[in-house]
Amino acid sequence: MTMFHFFNCAILTFGPHAVYYSATPLSEYDTLGTSVKAALVYLGTALVKLVCLATFLKVSENDGFDPYQELLKAVIGFIDVAGLYFALTQLTHRNISQNHKFQAVGLGWAFADSVLHRLAPLWVGARGLEFTWDFILQGLEANANLVLSISLAALGSLMWLRKNKPKTLIPIIYTCAGIVATMPSITSYLRRGLGWHFPKVVVFELFTSLSMAFISWQLFSACQRPS
Amino acid sequence: MVLSKNSGGHRGMQESMYSVIALVFILVACVELCDAAAAIDVYRLIQYDMSGSAYGSRFAVLNHHAAALHFPPGADLSRAVLIIPLRELNITFVREYINQKKPLGGLLFLLPDIFSFENGGNKQVHEKEKLKNLLAELEQLLIHANIPYPVYFAFENDEIDTVLADIKKNDAIGQPATATTGGYKLVIPTPEPKKVASPTITNIQGWLSGLKVDGDTNQLPTIAIVASYDTFGAAPALSVGSDSNGSGVVALLEIARLFSLLYSNPKTRGRYNLLFGLTSGGPYNYNGTQKWLRSFDQRLRESIDYAICLNSIGSWDNELWIHVSKPPENAYIKQIFEGFSNVAEELHIKVGLKHKKINISNPRVAWEHEQFSRLRVTAATLSEISTAPELLQGTGGLFDSRQFVNETAITRGVKLVAESLARHIYGHQGKNVQIFADGGSLAVNPAYIQSWLDLLSQTPRVAPFLSKNDPFVMALQKELADHTDEVNMQHEVLEGVFTFYDSTSARLNIYQVASVTFDLLLLLVLGSYLIVLFSFLVITTRGLDDLISLFRRPPSRKVKTA
Repeated sequence: MTMFHFFNCAILTFGPHAVYYSATPLSEYDTLGTSVKAALVYLGTALVKLVCLATFLKVSENDGFDPYQELLKAVIGFIDVAGLYFALTQLTHRNISQNHKFQAVGLGWAFADSVLHRLAPLWVGARGLEFTWDFILQGLEANANLVLSISLAALGSLMWLRKNKPKTLIPIIYTCAGIVATMPSITSYLRRGLGWHFPKVVVFELFTSLSMAFISWQLFSACQRPS
Repeated sequence: MVLSKNSGGHRGMQESMYSVIALVFILVACVELCDAAAAIDVYRLIQYDMSGSAYGSRFAVLNHHAAALHFPPGADLSRAVLIIPLRELNITFVREYINQKKPLGGLLFLLPDIFSFENGGNKQVHEKEKLKNLLAELEQLLIHANIPYPVYFAFENDEIDTVLADIKKNDAIGQPATATTGGYKLVIPTPEPKKVASPTITNIQGWLSGLKVDGDTNQLPTIAIVASYDTFGAAPALSVGSDSNGSGVVALLEIARLFSLLYSNPKTRGRYNLLFGLTSGGPYNYNGTQKWLRSFDQRLRESIDYAICLNSIGSWDNELWIHVSKPPENAYIKQIFEGFSNVAEELHIKVGLKHKKINISNPRVAWEHEQFSRLRVTAATLSEISTAPELLQGTGGLFDSRQFVNETAITRGVKLVAESLARHIYGHQGKNVQIFADGGSLAVNPAYIQSWLDLLSQTPRVAPFLSKNDPFVMALQKELADHTDEVNMQHEVLEGVFTFYDSTSARLNIYQVASVTFDLLLLLVLGSYLIVLFSFLVITTRGLDDLISLFRRPPSRKVKTA
């Protein structure tokens, strides 16, 4: 019965990635290589972030919210953005349209994130007899993260790959990208500083990810119209 | 893992691969054991055979759902564990369950804190006596029944209280826990109980020699002071027997200490030998005492003037009893009783004499002195109990904890026995002489009594589970060696009527489990979510036609040649 629960949580956490890949034209154009490369870039980015965190961050005794530490974490979080930039622009991709490139990169990015952050706790925790809602919430969080990664990749591709953007939209693009990039800091502030419980935080993440995805979709299609 | 020291990066890589694989296996294997909602220590009901009949709880492994009292009538409890706190115990209900052999997955009794040593302390609890009597009754019921499912005892604490409250709430809603409705699961992973092979009983004796005057060829007379130190109760891991017979052991040690002080100086050494005996096998018709006495040689046995056995002198107020088996008119008995009465009067204690004839053909030995009397040695037992206990009753069970023993009572008892003995030894009968007066160098030491009583109240002492070299037995031997000239240990096998089984304590894990229906429901929800997500993505990126075409077989193409 407990393997059953593990299986359920696993398909909740990793299923949407596979579904996204097979449902959209990504599978038709065989963009798996791009996703894999993006996943590897994410691994490298995570390593760099770890080293920076270990070097610069103090370990605090209490679990409260320290603004200075959180600011430092947010700055280190921008390494994520740098990694995404690297994945989008510097890697050589096969000849795929920009539309699909950002999707593939975002997908690979989100998949690597889920595996790295959620697979181990799932394997160790969900197979025991004890039941908690944590793993289901974690799966929902993984879903929200997928949406956020893809929107961040979309905004990133708009910022760095598209040369002819309507002038008015540029500041909006940059602010949206900024918001999405700082999502981890925002959620940790909610959890530690305001003391929100995990379910509430997950609901907030889902909501914001859907709204950010909608906004970036609008921005993308707006930039797509020939000016 | 032995790593060979061969050089070569290839080898090194291979070995690190193996170690990674091994680590993964270890991770996989040990993940199941550490994530319970609560884990508490539990103590199993004793399992023993007496004359071939089986008694006690015959099983140890537990893996069932939890249920509380007030389960819905007609519920099937054969795969459920009933959790019963002592305060809510209805003894007729349990008796009915056991006597009618109704099927049950297991029983877990929750004992209030006052019966445990660490937390008992000095809490004043209402109805302390009532709980004590209820527990005594429950114990007697359980140890004389043959129960085909595991029975465990645990102490109440916050974790299990919350779990129990939760279970009661669920029961009130009306759904007992089974495999399909979730709830709590109690798991005790312990191996099957095995017979204890050759249980040993160890008798410890200390000999304090009297003063032999030159030219005196006769053997000095001996006075024996005896107490049995082992216990028997419903939960062997909890049978500390503070009163029965921890109080007797403590009193014996203190008397030994006082007389060793007197005897250390030849000027105050008495003309009697003193023999101190700490015997085992008490609950089993004083088997150990019998073996100990049989091991004496004839001369020693004949030199014993009389023996005083101490049994439960820890919780009395004003009255003690001297039990004898020779008739009260017997000169020796009269002498002993008068000696005790005189001292008792001065200490404001009332001492009564009780006579119980022994029946040689009846194997039941209710008092320790009866073993002496069967070998024609004058003996008496000093006790606060007025009537002879039945077999396996009053042998230091669950209810006999530190809370209910009074050091002052033991101190007064020690004074009584020591003074009476001293007056007999030094020939001061009838005189009002206080040898062990308070405040003097020979005063009874309450701190000594308290520290030994505390130690005894933390040490379960059921004989089959005390090995030959058990640290407690060694400690008793060392203490007696400090106070006497010569200490001997006698190891015997408790053979015959009783057989015991091990596995006396374990760790209970309580898991909060979700039911199978929940998992199936979740699978359904997730499946439909993924399907909806799939359709949504196909529609938005490729168009509705693509979605429909996924389900329609490609139409057979009739090649039309133009």
